Amino acid sequence: MYQSLFVVKFVNWSWIGLGNYTRIIVDREFWAALGNTAIIGGISLALQSVIAMAVAFFCYRDPFVRGWRIVFLMPMLFMPSAVAFIWKLAFNDGRVISDVLMSIGVVSNNVDWLSSIWLARLTLIVADVWQWTPFLFIIFVGALQGQDEEIEEAARLDGASWSSIFWNISLPMMRPIIVVAVTLRGIDITTMFTNVYIMTQGTPGGATETMSFFIYRQGFRMFNFGYASAASVLMLILTIVIAQTVVRRAFKSGKS
Amino acid sequence: MASIRKSGGESLLLRYIILVAWALVCLVPIIWFLTIGFRPRTEIIVPKPIYWPTWSLDAWRLLVSDWPIASYLRNSVVAVAGSVVIDLLLAIPAAFALARYEFRGREDIGFYILSTRMMAPAIVAVPIFFLFKNMGLLDSVWALMLIYAAINLSLVTWIIRSYMLDIPKELEDAARTDGAGDLTILWEIMIPACLPGIITAAVIAAIFAINEFLFTLLIASTSKAYTMSVALANFTGGSDGVIYNAIALVSFLAFAPILILVILIQKHLSRGLTMGAVKG
Repeated sequence: MYQSLFVVKFVNWSWIGLGNYTRIIVDREFWAALGNTAIIGGISLALQSVIAMAVAFFCYRDPFVRGWRIVFLMPMLFMPSAVAFIWKLAFNDGRVISDVLMSIGVVSNNVDWLSSIWLARLTLIVADVWQWTPFLFIIFVGALQGQDEEIEEAARLDGASWSSIFWNISLPMMRPIIVVAVTLRGIDITTMFTNVYIMTQGTPGGATETMSFFIYRQGFRMFNFGYASAASVLMLILTIVIAQTVVRRAFKSGKS
Repeated sequence: MASIRKSGGESLLLRYIILVAWALVCLVPIIWFLTIGFRPRTEIIVPKPIYWPTWSLDAWRLLVSDWPIASYLRNSVVAVAGSVVIDLLLAIPAAFALARYEFRGREDIGFYILSTRMMAPAIVAVPIFFLFKNMGLLDSVWALMLIYAAINLSLVTWIIRSYMLDIPKELEDAARTDGAGDLTILWEIMIPACLPGIITAAVIAAIFAINEFLFTLLIASTSKAYTMSVALANFTGGSDGVIYNAIALVSFLAFAPILILVILIQKHLSRGLTMGAVKG
């Protein structure tokens, strides 16, 4: 807050009071960016949680679990900007995904991934899921490996199936860990910037513009520094509310 | 282990199909991107993808002749290493205080430190930009070093604090009865005892710093300060479009050391990534 007032002073802006804030409240692009962040982030977070949990559950007692862990970890170790280029090439410039889809008969023509709102969002979701499922996976598999083997064994002797072991033993035990891991990942997803900057630049028609990209575009492309600061402050308030409620609780329960 | 195999061949097969499928999803893009690095440019951006490459070292030659790749690498190393050193110098005493001293509002201060991790970098992008502009530090590796240090400080503090909390108090009390002061205890007991935690914190901070994109994009504007992460975004040859083979090569230059570091700290990784909240 304090620094965002500073900015106004540095660039010698005339004081317009809350003008930036009243403008932003009625700015459709601002709300669209907020909505896009929620949609893209929500879908990718849900997908990567489910995939990470499934993969972790299927490999945690596997004899080769150390090998699986390294393989499944790899996408996360790439620089995010490099990952964005991998998928930009695969989807758009190299047309590899279209070609594969054509050869298995899903589509008949080259798909222009940036032409439709949902296809463009899908490319961002794929890139995020690919890179960050490992984050959740590595935490989940660690938790599962720490699970008491004797309880599992006893349940199995009683004739419990793997699915009932998962729902009745593993999942309740892991609840606090899942909350912490998903919360952390959720926070990082809301800051999504690199992929948007490299892959879509917010196209088509702002459908993939996230909050971070909105602030960047307003501030550093259009040089509306005051406006960008106002958006930052609103986003900051939102973050503080979330941090104070969800995260604080998540970390408390993670400790106990 | 044997008991799982008893649970039926059918589910074992299903399990392996799922695991192998996901392994392919993880590996195929990486391997494919690696081959991109060794192809001529004419084979990459094409209407119909070419799956069997003709090998060439074009990208490598291009990198050496047209791009100051050595200075990108040097900038990354200097900024990242410097930021990790700053982080450790500040975070170890802070973590010690948060783990051991009793004072009012300790939990709150701990949480405020943590909450900087929750803020989107874009929120502080505008003020940070003007702060460094006024200090005359735009386009400088030192600015990047300070920013990376600030981004990772909370994370490093929390990871080290979590490891310090695990050290039994008795160890400390014994030294105290022998007349050791706080600094001696920190230096001779706490730091050696939580060395794995310190190394984990340093590695994770280094990875986040290597990956940092937004601030580097704002602060750096020439090869004086470009790091590998942002230099990638500038590999465009004007009308020729994005130079993917050079991008692929550079991304593997960064990938190799990160992979080695991560394998070294594998056991501590999930604890580090959750800032100590999960003791996996």
